[in-house]
Amino acid sequence: MRPVAAVFCLAIAPLAAAQNVTYERLVHALDEQQNWLTHWGDYSAVRHRNLKQISTANVKDLRLDWIFQTGQAGSFETVPLVVDGVMYLTGGNGYAYALDARSGRQLWMYKHAFPPGRKGNGVNRGFAILGDRLFMVTPDANVVALDARTGRLLWQTEMASFNNGQYTATLAPIVIKDKVIVGISGAELGIRGFIDAYDAATGKRVWRFWTVPAKGEPGGETWLADSWKRGGGSTWMTGTYDPQLNTLYWGVGNPGPDLYGETRKGDNLYTCSLVALDPDTGKLKWHFQFTPHDTHDWDAAETPVLLDLNWKGRDRKLVVQANRNAFFYVLDRESGEFLMGKPFARQNWASELDAKGRPILMKHQEPSPEGSQVCPGLAGAANFMAPSYNPDTKLFYFAVREQCDVYYTNAPVYIEGRPYWGSVTRALTEEPEWGLLKALDPLSGETKWDFRYFHAPWAGTLSTAGGLIFAGDADGYLMAFDAKTGKNLWKLNTGNPIVNSPMTYMVNRRQYITMPSGSAVLTFALPEQ
Amino acid sequence: MRIACIALLFLCSAALGGQTEIDLADGKATFRSNCAFCHGLTGGGGRGPALSAGRFLHGSAADDIKNVIKSGVPGTTMPAFEFEKDELDRLVAYVRTLSASSGKAASAGPVAGDAAKGRQVYERSGCAGCHRVGSEGSVFGPELTRIGAGRSAEYIRESILNPSADVPEEFAGVTVITRDGKRITGVRVNEDTFSVQLRDASQNFRMFQKDEVQKVTRETKSLMPVYSSLSKEDLQNLLAYLDGLRGDLNAGTGVKKEKAIR
Repeated sequence: MRPVAAVFCLAIAPLAAAQNVTYERLVHALDEQQNWLTHWGDYSAVRHRNLKQISTANVKDLRLDWIFQTGQAGSFETVPLVVDGVMYLTGGNGYAYALDARSGRQLWMYKHAFPPGRKGNGVNRGFAILGDRLFMVTPDANVVALDARTGRLLWQTEMASFNNGQYTATLAPIVIKDKVIVGISGAELGIRGFIDAYDAATGKRVWRFWTVPAKGEPGGETWLADSWKRGGGSTWMTGTYDPQLNTLYWGVGNPGPDLYGETRKGDNLYTCSLVALDPDTGKLKWHFQFTPHDTHDWDAAETPVLLDLNWKGRDRKLVVQANRNAFFYVLDRESGEFLMGKPFARQNWASELDAKGRPILMKHQEPSPEGSQVCPGLAGAANFMAPSYNPDTKLFYFAVREQCDVYYTNAPVYIEGRPYWGSVTRALTEEPEWGLLKALDPLSGETKWDFRYFHAPWAGTLSTAGGLIFAGDADGYLMAFDAKTGKNLWKLNTGNPIVNSPMTYMVNRRQYITMPSGSAVLTFALPEQ
Repeated sequence: MRIACIALLFLCSAALGGQTEIDLADGKATFRSNCAFCHGLTGGGGRGPALSAGRFLHGSAADDIKNVIKSGVPGTTMPAFEFEKDELDRLVAYVRTLSASSGKAASAGPVAGDAAKGRQVYERSGCAGCHRVGSEGSVFGPELTRIGAGRSAEYIRESILNPSADVPEEFAGVTVITRDGKRITGVRVNEDTFSVQLRDASQNFRMFQKDEVQKVTRETKSLMPVYSSLSKEDLQNLLAYLDGLRGDLNAGTGVKKEKAIR
């Protein structure tokens, strides 16, 4: 019996190796330019690839190569992974797929089983991978592990009890060492947020970091009375990671109720903050709060991008973020020290940031029963769409939303599973929204160039060594720009607002650009020679 | 004991038709967040009809008003709202106080003026060159088939005398200057980063790629001319005519759904 088993193991070994994405491979993801191994492309989230087959010289010839139709309604916000020629992506409503990355042909499909009585819809932003296992979250706040070879369910763990839809999850997990690290959504429904780590092998929870400290804990004094119990602090976007510092960086969401601050007086830590955690234990190393006591839904979920740059004559490890509150921040990522914060869009809520980065508030910026006109609007000057950094131009490329709102406030009533906003916002009718693709020098906060969009965008950027920035707009255009000048070199109307960020990969010496739009995965390439 | 009695007396006096002042305050807050944007902070009307005039097109009973809120009004900008039952009760109780407090409930009636003469003013002034009533007129400007039901007389008066006071986004004007210097102005049907589509006064679609024209500019003022030269009498008669336009606009058109915000 034993010899037969040994032969069998040998026979499957090459297959298993094909999906064997080790932690070492994730750490060195940028050494595998043909692949896209994590949600952000690598742990630092630069979203730049050293691929130059598609370049400023030939991008005008870029054409649609294949389309995969998921047939799923709803907002399609996934960023696929590509591992050695196989594309893994999640769809809306609990679906996931593996595709041949050259042809778009399906290899398997997974459908999450929703228990009776639970809503079976919701967006999802993608997979994480370790070994031959894929990890995703579900609209009903579960973490699931799938066999990357078959799509078969391996384990499933509930992050928080569903409570009539109060807890939901949408983000792509991040894998660090042997742990799957995820966040939660639901600050608009009165949750208390957290970041969780699960054992990749078993699905057992290893640690939890509460983004809203309880009474008596450090930071608990920043919440009035029992307001921390429904304090919000969602962690709905994926963090970034520095393997050398062994530090995980995570942007924390807004406090709840969103627009009514009377019952939660105080700074409301760690909402609207960047938290730096030890990924082995979940212990807090430092935090920086961008918007203390937020009442405008300006969460800090935007990507914390890790850059190693020469800051005023000294090589420093930095973390930068274009925040929803309209300021671009540079922090030291070893200490959390505030180094710079400059507005990148119109704002009328802070006269300036003090030496420690705390905003000095302007009058009339608080929501009021009659309505207060404040910029940026509720959706923020930036949001979940990913930025990118090009080491050749040394510029940071991101989508800017120029839009102001009238903010109303009113004490909300808490009902489980129902919105807990504390009132509403209305867009200014006399002033239409618009947007920008902005190229910014992260050392100075100065704009190098920008390109104006007619509507405020919901799509991120991708940078390539071909000298290109790929981006999308709210009218459905996928576009390519010259990274140095901002000149629009190519565009295609995909027919649906683009609500995610482009990615690139290579199979058989051919470079592809992928951008999901509507319910379809669209993949582009140059014509075959 | 004495304090308790006084407190009880106060509670009783505060009750109004089964609704306490606290309930009405809740209803008012819900109204301000969800309704005031179109109906005005005190229900005087705006982009939506006045709710303080004591005239409700779909019925003034509490259940009638609830139905409108829950189902919306097809063919109009009134969306359907989802409210909790208690919240809807409080909101409707507050809405019904708007006409009571304005004192207009008893005196509510058609706008003063001679509607028949107003119709002549409408025809003489060339309104049909841009507006449509029923099956007659142009699709260039907003349709007026049920304008009397959808807008307060005050709002209509302002639209005639100062059309730029409030221009709905779907009737924003845009001007395209072509490379050979031609100016084409129309209502913007659609615009994106790279193209613009508009409807000109002849009711034709005009479509442009932005990189093929000199300039595309948004008109800051309404495309409608100012009619301040109308005599006082003509204006009042015109208002009476327009106020009486309460036709069935696109019955069966879908209703937008809006989540109520608390």
